[in-house]
Amino acid sequence: MTTAQNTEIESEGGPFTRWVRNAIDNPGKVHRAMFYVALVFFLFTTLFPIYWLVVLALTPNNLIVDMGVVPHGFNLSVFAELWELVPLHLYMFNSFVIATVTTVYVLLVSSLSGYAFGRLEFRGKGGLLLLLLIISFFPPAAFLLPLFKLFTGNVVVFGLHSPNLFNSMGAIIIPFSGLFLPLSVFILTTFYSQIPDGLEDAARVEGTTRFGALFRVIMPLSAPGLSTAGILTFIAVYNEFFFSFLLSTGDPENGAPLVWGILAFQGQYASMYNYMAAASLIGILPIALLVVVAQEKIVSGLTAGAIKE
Amino acid sequence: MNMHVQDGEFVCLVGPSGCGKSTTMEMVAGLTLPTEGDVTISGTNVTTHPPKDRGIAMVFQNIALFPHMNVYDNMSFGLRLRNFDKKEIDRRVERAADILQIKNLLNRKPSELSGGQRQRVAIGRAIVREPEAFLMDEPLANLDAKLRVHMRTELQRLHKELQTTIIYVTHDQAEAMTMSDRIAVLNDGELQQIDPPLICYNEPANRFVAGFIGSPSMNFIDGEVTADGFDSEFVSVEFDPVGYDVPVGTSVTLGIRPEDVYLADDRDGVLYPTKLIDTVTDVMEPMGDEIFVYLLHETRETTTMDESQHRSKQLLMSVDSATEISEEDHVAVFLDRTKLHLFDQKSGEAIAHGLETSTRDHAATQNTTPKN
Repeated sequence: MTTAQNTEIESEGGPFTRWVRNAIDNPGKVHRAMFYVALVFFLFTTLFPIYWLVVLALTPNNLIVDMGVVPHGFNLSVFAELWELVPLHLYMFNSFVIATVTTVYVLLVSSLSGYAFGRLEFRGKGGLLLLLLIISFFPPAAFLLPLFKLFTGNVVVFGLHSPNLFNSMGAIIIPFSGLFLPLSVFILTTFYSQIPDGLEDAARVEGTTRFGALFRVIMPLSAPGLSTAGILTFIAVYNEFFFSFLLSTGDPENGAPLVWGILAFQGQYASMYNYMAAASLIGILPIALLVVVAQEKIVSGLTAGAIKE
Repeated sequence: MNMHVQDGEFVCLVGPSGCGKSTTMEMVAGLTLPTEGDVTISGTNVTTHPPKDRGIAMVFQNIALFPHMNVYDNMSFGLRLRNFDKKEIDRRVERAADILQIKNLLNRKPSELSGGQRQRVAIGRAIVREPEAFLMDEPLANLDAKLRVHMRTELQRLHKELQTTIIYVTHDQAEAMTMSDRIAVLNDGELQQIDPPLICYNEPANRFVAGFIGSPSMNFIDGEVTADGFDSEFVSVEFDPVGYDVPVGTSVTLGIRPEDVYLADDRDGVLYPTKLIDTVTDVMEPMGDEIFVYLLHETRETTTMDESQHRSKQLLMSVDSATEISEEDHVAVFLDRTKLHLFDQKSGEAIAHGLETSTRDHAATQNTTPKN
């Protein structure tokens, strides 16, 4: 009798009740639905800014007020005209050089320290790692005034003036190499410590030095870690605004980076938003390409790195 | 520890885990710096030389092939680092691949190889270098039993072919016995004995070597030297202590291998037997071709004594599998006098291997015969 009643209630439930029951019976369905919801959300948040840049770039500057989410007009010529106004390629090249030098430097130094922290036993290792972590917690803005003083040659040690690096690439490369080092060191320490000792020993017996073993065996096997650290550093430096803006006067021949190129479209009386948007889109391209290429490298690194103990 | 390895010799380092075999190897290879002492290769002191300048090649226990390189690149790694001519590299890799029968695998990645193939590639990587010495650190430890025996013979053949010095670390004394020209037995970082396998087996320098070499291990019976010979609760053997320079009253250990313990009926083959010992069989371990029989002292039928005592009061005997024997049998056994070993109980050093076989002993044995 009770069971009969129960089945009656089940079948009697409204559409909502039936939907809930169905979801409980098939959790896989719900997981799939949640996955798509999350996917759409992330796609929207990442892609909408780019779409918005496209909209801004295509809309002529005089129609830009009061606009909605669709472009007012279709003005492709900005992408060509902007080169006449500002040598954007020079700014991009500067950014590229700054980011590349910083990345190479960071990877080199963090490889050496990652090797030391990950593979050697020495006194004070924990303390040093902690110190590194603490330094990485410092807000970069706190360094600005002392750095400014340093790079304008106003710091005197034993009668020697600090080099005048203001308004050069060095003024951006040096602080950023320092600021991004801790993160890379931590990433590479983890990766290097996972390479079996036997492989390094084998390389050394075969004829490499410790350095040789690091470059020929440990680093290739840690390719995923290296590219992660490298990409993070490269993107951050390429996009950097704060130091680049304050330690440079904005002339492309003095190593001013991309940010200055985009700001160059901002005049005293007018801001050419469509040119700025177009310049931003062009500036994104190299990074997007880099990530696509590096991603392939990451995947191949993962499949080839089947380390056999 | 002081060890001198001849050119072209195959030396095995054996010992229980943690005795310093691998550390010794790493010091020879230069991966670990010795706290004191020197390492010399071909007359040059290489103690502070980095591993790459020592002219040695090593095969590792965990194989340690570079996973990101194919077999050819793995094998030619050392040669390429030394800027060898491309043709010469090809020639050497081909020759090594021929010897090891891995020619068809040269383009594969290590992850695509089986355990035995990987091991052969690792050996190949060592061969192409044509080093002054090979160091092998338990190279067969990770292989399954069948492959291990196969690779054992392969390695011996290889050694015959190349005539290069090989220092081989293993904890498996069967490997050491079968392959090496000389065995170095290590314990607690101390060299116990370095001698050809059969000498280590027949004339162990001390109690540790005696117990370590040979499977199952030697029987040890603690006792004392009396004016008449060796005496313990279980076994007594007559001999003249003067001949061995052992004062009466010294605590000694008598050692006898299981295959040198005989049943009373098998007297024919043994020229110099000891007196008969009355025992009770305890546990039997049939191995197929032979049976291991644990014998207890006649008067003690239970095995409730503590471990240290127990050892001395138990005797392991190996008999032919055709022997009719069952548990709880009362049997009389004797030992082969020529195969007895005496060790000093305190230092563990060997006092004698094989006891004198004078006429006096004959008389003694004959006296015991009627009693049987």
